Order: sequence, then C-alpha cells, then structure tokens
Amino acid sequence: MLSLQHISKFYQVGGTRNFVINDISLEVEAGEFISIMGPSGSGKSTLLNIIGMLDEPSSGYHYFAGETVHQLKDKQRSALYKKYIGFVFQAYHLIDELTVYENIETPLIYQDFKSTERKAMVADMLDRFQIVGKKDLFPAQLSGGQQQLVGIARALIAGPKLLLADEPTGNLNSKQGEEIMQLFKKLNKEDGVTIIQVTHSEKNAEYGSRIINLLDGRIESSKQL
Amino acid sequence: MIKNYIKTAFRSLQKNKGFTTINVLGLALGLATCLLIVFYVVDELSYDKYNVNASRIYRVNEDLKLGDNKVQYAVCMAPLAQTLKNDFPDVENAVRLKKIGDMHVTKGTESILEDNALFADPSVFDVFTLPAIYGDEKTALTEPNTVVITEEMAKKYFGKLNVVGENLIIDGNLQKPIKVTAVIKNIPEQSHFHVDFLVSMASNPEGHSTEWLRSDYNTYVLMRKGADYKRLEAQFPQFLRKYSGGQMQQELNMSYDTFEKNGSYFRLNMMPLTDIHLHSNLTGELGTNGNVEYVYIFSAIAIFILLIACVNFMNLSTARSANRAREVGVRKVLGSARKHLMFQFLAESTMVTFIAVIIALVTAMLALPAFNHFAGKNIIVNSHTLTWLAPSALIAILLIGFLAGLYPAFFLSAFNPMQVLKGKISAGFKGGALRSFLVVLQFSISIFLIIGTLVIYNQLHYIQNRDLGYNRNQVLIIQHAFELGDHAKTFKQEIKQLPGVTNATLSGYLPVKSTRGTGIFYKEAVADPKKSLFPQIWSVDEDYISTLAMKIKAGRDFSAQMPSDSNAIVINETAAKFLGFTDPVNKVVYRSSGGPNPTYKPYTIIGMVKDFNFSSLRDNISPVVMQLNTDNSSLSIKVNTANIPALLSQIENRWKDFTPAHFQYSFMDQDFDAMYRSEQRIGTIFIAFTTLAIVIACLGLFGLAAYAAEQRTKEIGIRKVLGASIATIAGMLSLDFIKLVCISILIASPIAWYLMQKWLQDFAYRIGIAWWVFAIAGVAALFIAFITISFQSIKAAIANPVNSLRSE
Repeated sequence: MLSLQHISKFYQVGGTRNFVINDISLEVEAGEFISIMGPSGSGKSTLLNIIGMLDEPSSGYHYFAGETVHQLKDKQRSALYKKYIGFVFQAYHLIDELTVYENIETPLIYQDFKSTERKAMVADMLDRFQIVGKKDLFPAQLSGGQQQLVGIARALIAGPKLLLADEPTGNLNSKQGEEIMQLFKKLNKEDGVTIIQVTHSEKNAEYGSRIINLLDGRIESSKQL
Repeated sequence: MIKNYIKTAFRSLQKNKGFTTINVLGLALGLATCLLIVFYVVDELSYDKYNVNASRIYRVNEDLKLGDNKVQYAVCMAPLAQTLKNDFPDVENAVRLKKIGDMHVTKGTESILEDNALFADPSVFDVFTLPAIYGDEKTALTEPNTVVITEEMAKKYFGKLNVVGENLIIDGNLQKPIKVTAVIKNIPEQSHFHVDFLVSMASNPEGHSTEWLRSDYNTYVLMRKGADYKRLEAQFPQFLRKYSGGQMQQELNMSYDTFEKNGSYFRLNMMPLTDIHLHSNLTGELGTNGNVEYVYIFSAIAIFILLIACVNFMNLSTARSANRAREVGVRKVLGSARKHLMFQFLAESTMVTFIAVIIALVTAMLALPAFNHFAGKNIIVNSHTLTWLAPSALIAILLIGFLAGLYPAFFLSAFNPMQVLKGKISAGFKGGALRSFLVVLQFSISIFLIIGTLVIYNQLHYIQNRDLGYNRNQVLIIQHAFELGDHAKTFKQEIKQLPGVTNATLSGYLPVKSTRGTGIFYKEAVADPKKSLFPQIWSVDEDYISTLAMKIKAGRDFSAQMPSDSNAIVINETAAKFLGFTDPVNKVVYRSSGGPNPTYKPYTIIGMVKDFNFSSLRDNISPVVMQLNTDNSSLSIKVNTANIPALLSQIENRWKDFTPAHFQYSFMDQDFDAMYRSEQRIGTIFIAFTTLAIVIACLGLFGLAAYAAEQRTKEIGIRKVLGASIATIAGMLSLDFIKLVCISILIASPIAWYLMQKWLQDFAYRIGIAWWVFAIAGVAALFIAFITISFQSIKAAIANPVNSLRSE
C-alpha cells in the first residue's frame, strides 16, 4: 500500500546537516498494524508525519496507493491524503468550540458530503463507538479516554484505508489506554484498516503485527510478531 | 460548511467574552463616531440641493478694485437681474434678494424684530423651490406691500396656517400694513439663506434703482437647460462697460477706459448655488456660510478614527489567533484547504463587523441630538437618509470585515499544522512586526490629534486674549437706539449720569459684528484712484474712542468743544499707511460729491488711533476712517459696577420713558465671542473626536497588553521563580509598548507641526507652535498608554508563578 525508499529528512544547521530521518526504506502492506518505537528524538513522529504527508522529506521516494507522492503537487497530495488517511493525536486535538457530533462531522464537510449523508454517517459512527449520549457535549466536558474515542471516531468517519496514530494513549491512564488498543486491534482485524502507531509502551506495541525500532533516524530493528 | 464556520466563530467569540467585547465595542465606537461625522459632512454638502433647479442656479458676485483696495461682494447692482434676463437668451430667469435690516412686526402690543426678512422679486419662486401651502406663488409678490411668509411665521403671528389675505403690521422703515399673499413651507435647514418673510420688491422704494455703481442686491440667475455659464461670464466685461460706463463718466467724471487703465476694475462672476455654502465668504452674504476646510478636516478625522478602529480589530484578531492556531492545525489535518480557512476567518470578521455596525448605528442615532447640540446643526435621520445609509452600511460591513479579517485569514491559514499542533507557533509570535506597525500607526494618529487640538485651542485662546486695540470688557450695547428718535442724545446723557456708568457712545459702527460702510477719500481734490483710499467709514460721536478705550497714537480725539470737528476725521494706523503718511495729523483728504461736476470736500485728519481688530482675526486690519456723525443704531455703555442686573433695569426704565419699543441689549465681549463661535465649535468637536480616537486606541492597547501578558505567562513565571520583582516584570511588559508609543511621537510630531502650521496660515494673527505642545502631547500619550498597559502588566506580574508554570 505504501513504500518509502531512501527517505531522509534533515535540517541545515550552519555547515552541517542534522538528520532527523536518515535513509529509511519501508514497505507497508494493506492490513498491517505497525508499531513504531524508539527513544525521544529518534524520528518516530517525523516518520509518521512524512507517511501522513503532513511533512515533506528532504530526499527519497515516496509511493502511496499507486501514486508517486514525491512528485505530486500540494493539492493532489492533500486530495490523496483526505481520501485515504486518518489521524489520531496524543493530545486528541478536538476543536474546543465544536460539540462531539460536530467534531466528528468536520472531515466530512471538507470532503463535500451532503448534509443528509453526513447525518447518517455520524449517527452510525456515534452508535458504533457507543457515544450517542455524548454527542452534544463539548470536548472539555469529556474525560481523556472519551476525548480520544471521539478523536478516533473523527479519524475514521470518512472511511480511511490508513490510520496514523501518534502516541494515541500517551495522555491516558492504563485502563483507558488498553481500551483504545483493543479498539485499534478490532479495527485492524475486522475492518481491515491499516494502522501505523507511534508508541513508547512495549505493551501497546505488541498489539501490532510488526514492531519497528528507530534510533537516531535509522531503522535499528524490525520484528514481525 | 458555512453553518459550521459560523457556529465555530460564534462559540469562539463567546468563549473569549473579554476580547470580543473590546473588539466589537472598539469597532462600534469608531464606526459610530465616523457615522456622526458622515452625517455632518453629508449635511454640509447637501446645502441648497433642495432646489429642483439647483444645478442651473448661479449667484452673480462682484469683485471691485479701486486703487489698492479690493473687495469681493456677494451683492450686485439693482438693474443687473432684469438686464441679464433681457440681454442674454441663456438666462432663463433672474431674481434679486435684499436683506431688510430692521423689520419689526407688530404682534398685539409687542413689536418684534425679525431678522430673516428679504425683499424679493416675484421670480423668486421660479428660481428657487419654495412651495406654497396657501396662496398663489405666481402672483404673490407682484404688488407693492405684499408679503409671503413661512408656515412658522403664520403660526407665530396668526396662530393658524391659512392666513392669505390677512395683514401684517410692519414697524421700522416700512411703517405700514402689508398683505399676506401666500404661505410657504419653512425653508429647509440646508439653505445658504434663511427667510421667514419675503416682501415684494415693489415695496422697496429703491427697488427700481438704475444705479450701476452701487451694489446692494443678492442676484441669482437661472440658466437655461444646457447653457454654459462660462460662456455668459465671458460676456460680462463688455456688458458692464456698456451699462456702467455712462454713469461712471457722470458720477466719477472718468471714462471706463481711464478707470481700467488705473488698474481698477469692476468684475462680475458666477458662483454655482451649491458652492455658496462651503466656498463663499464674501461681503454681503445673506447668512453665515460654512467652510469647506472643516469638511475636509472632519472627513480626515473620520477616516483616522475608522483606521484606528480597524487597526484595533485586526490587532486583536491576530493576537487572539494564537489561541486559534491549534484549531487551524486540526482543521488542516482533517482536510481543510487553505481557502476554506481563509473564508472561515473572513466570515468571522464580517460577522463581528456586522454586530459592530448594528451597535454603531444605534449609538449614532442616540448620540445625534447631543451631536446636533454642540455642532450647531439640525441633522435628522429620515427615510431619505436610509436610502444612502443602508447600502453604505452594507458596503462598510463587507469592506471592513474583509480588510480586518484579511491579515488573520492569510496569517493563520498559512500555519504548518504539525508545528502548530506541537505548540511551537503559539508561543512564538508575541511580537509581530505588523502588529507593532499598526500600534505605531494608531498612536501616531492619536498624538497627531492631540497636537492638533492643543494648537487649535491655543490659537482660540490667543484670539480671545489678544490686545485688540480696544477694551471690550464691561461694554453694554443697547440695540435699536434709533427707536428713541430725536431723544437718543438725551437718553445717552441721562445714562451717562447713572452711577456705575463711566461713559457712553452712540454709534452703530462697532468693532464687533455691526454696521459697516465704505467710501472713497482722495489725497488731492481730484478723482484719481491712484491717490485714493477706500476705507470703511464709521460714523461715531465724540465719546466713541474713550468709551472703547482705543489708544490715540498721534493727534487728538474728537471734541464736542471744537465745532470744526464736523469736518475732521480720525484714522487708524493702517489707513495712514495706505495713504503714505508717516505723520498724518493735520493732513487734508477729500471726498467727492459725485455727479457730473463733482465738488471735493476737504477733511482734516486730527488724530490717528492704534490699529484695532474689528473683523475676524483671520483677516488683516483694513483702513478705517472715523467721522463725527449721528448714527443712532446702538448705544454702547462702558459700565463699572459689579451689580449689572440692577444697572440694566435702571437703563431699561429710562428706555421705557422714551419709547414703547422692545429693549434689547448685549455685551460686547459676548458679541466678540460670537465672531469666533464657529471656531469654538470646531474646537469642541475636535476635542470630542480626539478623545474618542484616544479611547479607541487605548481600548486596543488594553486588549493587546492583556494578550501579551497572557502569552508571556510562562516567561513571567520563570522570571519570578528566578527572583524578579513585580516592578521589574511590570516594567518589562510595559516597555515593549512604551517603545512603540515613543516611535509614534517621533513620527506624529513633524507631520502635526507641518499641517497645523498650514492651518494657522489662515489667521492673520496667529501663534507660533511651541515645543511644549509636542512635549505635552507626547507625555500625555505615554501616560495614557502606560496606565492602560500597566493594569494588565501588574495583573500578570502579581500572579502566582506556580500556577502559570504548572499549566504549561
């Protein structure tokens, strides 16, 4: 589904190049559940952002769903990304001014779904995540776990093929974290959503089908579970 | 999608109530002020446009140059109107108006002086649009002793509207009953002349005068459709030569050619009716006109205030945008295109502008009566106003909303979502070059306005306290002393005996607004304009100079003991200068009797008074010649008592012994102030608007300071933990803004100096702009800014660092 070849990302500091990602090549098949691990500053989030097309690599080739991403224009890339990718953040990043319902609905608005379609899709999603009763609450009125649930619902609403999660459980307690991981596993198994998550927790990493360890911008090890 | 945006915008505004309030109120205040000024300007620009034929009506003005003396008149010769109509097919119609100075109308036992009375030709109704409610306009003014009155006067004198056929009893020079032939609607406020009584020109004994060398009539011409007035104007020189040449030969004993060869001239020119109110300030105007300069000044102030308010709006929006940055990041990650985000912010600012405009409209309506009061206007809002107000409000909403939202729209939508989401940007833009620039702009304008106000006030103060060459304090003026008839002198003597009265003089020629007359003196007994003086000639009595405490520079005052003084004159310094006399005393000048074989009457100059100001201080002093003559227009009394009411009632009792006429008085210093009322008004309005501009600018600064403090919460916390005192932190936070205000002072001062210097050029007598004006303006701006900012700074500095650090 996606292929990175010799991807590097560096910052020029004075005369020297400061590599965040150093010549990484990575193949991801549809249906995989990959956990990216590594110490702080090893380039996990940057790699995830490059995969999610939110960040551009300094060099290398990037293919996604049969498209040559590194040759696409901004607009095409954004269209591609809108269609295939959903994002989940550590800090949830819900829009404070919108209700649960409206937060989940927002991506559909940007993809020009009709109002009636949106209603049906959001209702469906609320039902699936069992948060129908919370649909008119604002993010500030929810617990962290509930907010992340909304965050995931929002990421999934447009039916992405790839779900990118940057430490999705980082701000949650262990019980909430476990629930989220169970949910991910279920999405991966039952709905066939490809998932790439960045995590610090060994335990959470093991929910995946493959664990990639990064160190100083390189893939140090890769282990199939 | 739009619904989603509006919802977000609305909730975001609601969440930040403080900012929203400052933002909306600041903008609303600015817009309301702006709107009031727009009302004022529109009102000023709408003068005389009520006339259906306004674009075809012109007033004929006359420029006169005689020797070195130049005068511009708003009045022309009596036969001009009819002759223009006869001679030029382009002239569809013409009308003469002439002010009736002393129209007293009897109501019961009372005799009321009516100021707004004019003699008018019957064609007045063809030229101007003065619709009749009762009576027939066509024939209303054709007969002698007929009058057309306004509905207001009909109510005043008859208590009803339909008074056609009734008689009005007129006192004063007319002294007879005249018949009301029509009642017209009140003259609109926006008219350069205000009239309540139009008396038929046929009632004017001089109405049929054929004199081409005397100008007394305000003459208006209605041009044919499509006719070019310039073409008519071009024919005037030939026209004047034709008609006035003969009379000039007779009266001045001089041919028109000699007259022109000497550098003298008569010239006629035409002024569009709609230009009169703002562009005309000639001798013989029918009313007090406005001044286009003030229209410009106020328009500039309106733009300034609008600019300040919009800058506030932009500044606060961008400042607040840090809080919105995360939302922008999330939206981008969720797939929002940049144009969507721009649209969102533009929609949001348009929404806020809409609310502000509504508040502004309401505020302006509520403030209108107060504004009318101190601007001396009578502006009303009616359905006609709405026809331009509604579309302009809509345009304003869109335009201001767009402009104010533009920067945040571009700025915010350009954020890199990942950086924003990691919180990198929100901490980063506490400064913002554009925001600093905008603050500097605002304060430059405010400081400019402060300096402008100070200069205007200083100039007015200077005018009022200048040594005018006479003493206007404690001078009581009894008007219409002619009512006393032959007893005027006796009355004066009796008043002089009263305790508390130091002196009294009978003369209508006063150094405040009053009677004026001109004439020609020749240096030799020959009518040579090159050796002539064209001064104002004032009829005074022997107590005049001493009563007004004018200073004799050379020679002596008039004396009752010297019978020869009837052929003596006292001149002012300027007249001496014009005549070229260094020592004018005992020099002789001549006046011509006029006519075919003129005789020349010699006058001996017995004294010279120090120059005194008798017209506006905008103008230079012109030559004045005083001669002993009876003029009973008014009695000026120099009083010396604290108990003026008691003295007044004594004087009034004496007055009633002589005449039943109404006793009217004024004080000379008040009359003097009246000469500068328009400047006073401008001063007041200027102060009001300056204050508003500063308030709005401070409102913005207050919001920005609050925001800056919020942005630097963490920094403040760390500094406090490291041992910084509250004072150092408050100082540090204030310093950023104080620096900007200092820059503003440097920018505003030279510009203000330059422009105010130009304004002062209008005054013949003016102040210099002292350095302390700039010092005061600068210190005031700094002080106001500091107070505004320190409130926020201190609040931030006192906060417990533990809380601020934990929250990060």
